Amino acid sequence: MSADIRKWFMKRNDNKGNDNASKDKPEKPSPQEKSGRGGQESSGRRKCSPYFDKQKTKDEKEIEEPKSESKTPVRKKVQKVDDDEDDDFEMPSSKRKGLVEVTPNKRSKSGVGRGVAKKAIDLDESDEDDVKGKVTKSTPKSAGRGRGGRGASAAAPGGGRGRGGGGGRGGFMNFGERKDPPHKGEKDVPEGAPNCLANLTFVISGTLDSLEREEAEDLIKRHGGRITGSVSKKTNYLLCDEDIGGRKSSKAKELGTGFLTEDGLFDMIRASNRSQATAQTETKKSMEKTVVSTPKSSHQELAISKEQARNSPVKNPINKGRGQGASPAKKKSQSTEHPSLSWTEKYKPKVPTDIIGNQSLVKQLHEWLVQWNDQFLNTGHKGKGKKPISTGAKKAVLLSGTPGIGKTTSAKLVSQMLGYVTVEVNASDSRGKADGKIEKGIGGSTANSIKELVSNEALSVKMDRPKLQKTVLIMDEVDGMSAGDRGGVADLIASIKISKIPIVCICNDRYSQKLKSLVNHCLLLNYRKPTKQQMAKRLLHIATSEGLQVNEIALEELAERVNGDMRMALNQLQYMSLSKSVIKYDDIRQRLLSSSKDEDISPFTAVDKLFGFNAGKLRIDERVNLSMSDPDLVPLLIQENYVNYKPSSAGRDDDGLKRMSLIARAAESIADGDIINVQIRRYRQWQLSQSSSLSSCIIPAALLHGQREILEQGERNFNRFGGWLGKNSTMGKNYRLLDDLHVHLLASRESNLGRTTLRLDYLTLLLKNLTDPLRVLPKDEAVEKVVEFMDSYSISQEDFDAIVEISKFQGHPNPLEGILPAVKAALTKAYNKGGKSRVIRTADLITLPGLKKAPKKRVMAMLEPADDGLEGKADEMAENEEGNSSDEELDDKADGSKAVQLDLQNLSSKGIQVQMDLKGAEKTSGKKTGAGRGKRGASEVVEKGGGRGSGSTAKRKR
Amino acid sequence: MLWVDKYRPKALDKVIVHQDVAQNLKKLVTEQDCPHLLFYGPSGSGKKTLIMALLRQMFGASVEKVKVENKNWKVDAGSRTLDLELTTLSSTHHVELNPSDAGFQDRYIVQEIIKEMAKNRPIDTKGKKGFKVLVLNEVDKLSREAQHSLRRTMEKYSASCRLILCCNSSSKVTEAVRSRCLNVRINAPKEEEIVEVLEFIGKKEGLQLPFGFAARIAEKSNRSLRRAILSFETCRVQQYPFTNNQLIPAMDWEAYLLEIASDIMKEQSPKRLFQVRGKVYELLSNCIPPEIILKRLLYELLKKLDAELKHEVCHWAAYYEHRMRLGQKAIFHIEAFVAKFMSIYKGFLISTFG
Repeated sequence: MSADIRKWFMKRNDNKGNDNASKDKPEKPSPQEKSGRGGQESSGRRKCSPYFDKQKTKDEKEIEEPKSESKTPVRKKVQKVDDDEDDDFEMPSSKRKGLVEVTPNKRSKSGVGRGVAKKAIDLDESDEDDVKGKVTKSTPKSAGRGRGGRGASAAAPGGGRGRGGGGGRGGFMNFGERKDPPHKGEKDVPEGAPNCLANLTFVISGTLDSLEREEAEDLIKRHGGRITGSVSKKTNYLLCDEDIGGRKSSKAKELGTGFLTEDGLFDMIRASNRSQATAQTETKKSMEKTVVSTPKSSHQELAISKEQARNSPVKNPINKGRGQGASPAKKKSQSTEHPSLSWTEKYKPKVPTDIIGNQSLVKQLHEWLVQWNDQFLNTGHKGKGKKPISTGAKKAVLLSGTPGIGKTTSAKLVSQMLGYVTVEVNASDSRGKADGKIEKGIGGSTANSIKELVSNEALSVKMDRPKLQKTVLIMDEVDGMSAGDRGGVADLIASIKISKIPIVCICNDRYSQKLKSLVNHCLLLNYRKPTKQQMAKRLLHIATSEGLQVNEIALEELAERVNGDMRMALNQLQYMSLSKSVIKYDDIRQRLLSSSKDEDISPFTAVDKLFGFNAGKLRIDERVNLSMSDPDLVPLLIQENYVNYKPSSAGRDDDGLKRMSLIARAAESIADGDIINVQIRRYRQWQLSQSSSLSSCIIPAALLHGQREILEQGERNFNRFGGWLGKNSTMGKNYRLLDDLHVHLLASRESNLGRTTLRLDYLTLLLKNLTDPLRVLPKDEAVEKVVEFMDSYSISQEDFDAIVEISKFQGHPNPLEGILPAVKAALTKAYNKGGKSRVIRTADLITLPGLKKAPKKRVMAMLEPADDGLEGKADEMAENEEGNSSDEELDDKADGSKAVQLDLQNLSSKGIQVQMDLKGAEKTSGKKTGAGRGKRGASEVVEKGGGRGSGSTAKRKR
Repeated sequence: MLWVDKYRPKALDKVIVHQDVAQNLKKLVTEQDCPHLLFYGPSGSGKKTLIMALLRQMFGASVEKVKVENKNWKVDAGSRTLDLELTTLSSTHHVELNPSDAGFQDRYIVQEIIKEMAKNRPIDTKGKKGFKVLVLNEVDKLSREAQHSLRRTMEKYSASCRLILCCNSSSKVTEAVRSRCLNVRINAPKEEEIVEVLEFIGKKEGLQLPFGFAARIAEKSNRSLRRAILSFETCRVQQYPFTNNQLIPAMDWEAYLLEIASDIMKEQSPKRLFQVRGKVYELLSNCIPPEIILKRLLYELLKKLDAELKHEVCHWAAYYEHRMRLGQKAIFHIEAFVAKFMSIYKGFLISTFG
């Protein structure tokens, strides 16, 4: 693949060479090549060129005539390149000079790949003639050529990477199922001029011929095009290979948007290369004219600015005086003088309207501040009291939002604009609770800065005219008030209450636990992240003023990657500007891919990345980091979702056999991970944790990474949350239910069976015995039969539900289906009625008096139903009693049991009474049971029965 | 009451199947001191019934007066204290418990609780037997560590306590424990024996059994007597009088597994694998033990499989079953087996039919 690209470029190159050779003078190719190199290197050299600057100015100040102000950065480069050439060709013949000068101009410009905005500036220059226009138009194209010629080898790997790119969040872009491209990977992806698709907007629809959706997006973005999700008026092309007749295509037809096939796109990109070849010769001729026609004045200005750059900073004020409207060239020169000033400081918004996004909030803040004095100070100060503070008004304001979106800046700017003096207190100041009363203020032994401010201001307000000395307190990073600032928030609230100056609090997380109390005292303004377009616009402005060449698409990518953090975006941009002057989409992608690992990533993002279709490019340590971002959750997510991915490593796989075998391997590896996990958790072999993440995450992801597809109708194409956790807890719950049932069955003494046996063998029959009669037999008979069966096995109502619950299978009819609600109700009623005669069967969860928590001691006491006649069962009861009491360390001996027996007899009628009471009391019955336990013998037993009937069961329903 | 409980023999003399074993046991406890016993055999063969009958033989009817307790134990395990909850079934003479319920903490059950129980001599000294009996179920599910702790207990407190161990497979009980016990193998009853029992029950219940009906139930029961009696009663609930070609209903979970197996055979695709996963989850959350799922699934698959694949599939099933016991999340291993099977079977289908 890469070899093909190289070949292709070589060919093109040769053509170009030939063209040049035939059309131009024999010496031309060499300067051209030379300059081409110069253009390339210029990025590296530009900054460190005091030497060139000097030489340049010496050599060419008089001779050269720069074109225009806005062009100057380019111009500078041209000159540098010129210097290179001057070393070689020392004779300045005017004709040749002009020629040489132009060629590099075009060269360097193109090599730089100047973006859209640059062009716009060019177009603004009304004094330029047509020829000039032509030159500018053709330049970006020749750029690609210049690069292509030299960078053939570089382009190939670049292309490879690019093709793989863009998949990081690919999974989120597509909804619905999409087929594999029919000729996946069979076509050569062309490499065109970097900006050949600039100003074009594409929408992709359906399956393309050979490219995956992400690949196509990446390709377009790399060539300067824009991708949007839906067709609109601005859309230039709808990229699709088959008319699937979806909404996109119908809309496109309606709006008359052009349709473009994948081959068409490739042709467009290739054509950009070809057109350069022809454009080249054309421009050569035209350039000679251009040089002649360039205006003189601007050139001289450049010379001045150059001089300033060279000279001492004494001259700076002149420059500064020109203010914001100064040309980029001047900014450039400034920037070289203040290399230490970071861009974030330098390009801080100067007026509130400069702030990107959140304008309404800024306005709100502004209004609040304007009204502050009227609302609070005047009423309080003058003591009129007739102007009540409007209910909604708050004395302080709380700005919240993620870092780097301009909270502090807007607070400062707004206050400045209204003539307030800002006093900023941030985490670096001590903000703890001051000693003594607030009113003591500065007198307190540990008075903090806030209090000083607040109270000081009170004085100053009295003494001076408030208009002259208005102060606003900005409390930055209030959510950072932590251990060191003990009682800080409480103190702040107190300060707000008495404050005579407006207070602006700033925090990142409004919902932080610490700020809960503060929130009530503040007007809440929640800053949102600016959109990427807004950010890109501003970034582009800054980049242009810094002489950095970036296109808008690349900046949008940057804006997206930094997640709305303007400060971070600027820092990244500045950092990148140190090494190169031309920043392309790929550079930003690469840079932020490597830096993004510093951020906190959610398990979902980690899984997305591991399974992304370019995950194969990740290094192993990156993968380990991803899978370790949450060593518990990531494996579960992987396990849940691995079947959804179409492995890109399978290549052509019509019958899905390769995919199936890859899935089998992945599944085995996941199972390996489980085994290792047991070793880690049970035997504390933590040194195995890397192996665990390798086998449970990395290997499955490496085998299966690719495009995600949906397996169920209507599923969203996102990674599902791991199902294991939920299913496992359901399983736990059902096991508990089964356990209870098991215990009850054992207590019935009819059976002595294991829990597993109960589930596997008995349950079907139990269910049948419980439900079939209800379906078949007449109501009363059925209910009687079922209740009898339940009684014989001491199956309670809850157990009945548990049996039904455990026997439910998805896709099978509910076991209770076909049973009329009336019958069900009758069953419940009959069972509850029968509960009275069922004096004691089981009692569980007895609460001991004096103990708060139930010790979960479940005592099963067996007794025949009381109304069966106690005489016959006396001995059994005695035994039973014995067991019961010994169990509870009451140790009634056999003689005692006789008396108890009598007791029980007496209570047999009372027992019912007690039980009824308990039922009425519902929830408190648990407690009553506990109290009842204090009594001895039979009464206790009876009450237990009652407790079981209602209270304890309620408790056990978790 | 269910027939399976109603007609359970209470005394060693009354058993129908395994009469020889019953007689030997009777002699063992009447003529001499009883050693530790290890009962093993497939489920539904009558181990529990024999044990209960044996206890009755030893202590009389009082062993049937059992109480169920769910006790909490606090166990010192080095630096921390563990809370263990265990259900026991006890009479004055014996305690029955299921130590493997405690999962991986079963070691503490054996070390602390069983030892505690074994140490104490029974209060009732009037009886002729000077010891009590501990019945431990599912010994084969005990972890290795627990079994190691068990063997010392068995020796040390044999004066006051006898252990009766009960398990399905003796191969999962360590050699050391096995050698300290008298091993009693309880075979699965033969089909004729099952038929005999079924006819006995039929006679007692006064049912008309069509010819060959009992045999069909016996055949379907997989030689588990319990299963046979239960499905006999299920048939009775479903339809009476019996007809000759009456359908013998399968257990709910077996029917579901059969569905899964046919799903797998019909289509081998990631989508199907995903659906199978959902169904296996369903079984697991309905408390079907994973080992049984895997075994049963293999059984169903083998029925439909071409002979040349059987060997390989069996191999992989055994492989994944072993790994499942090493691991913790059973679904992963079952899914791995299903994926493996799909991959093998799909390859086979393609190579055979193109």
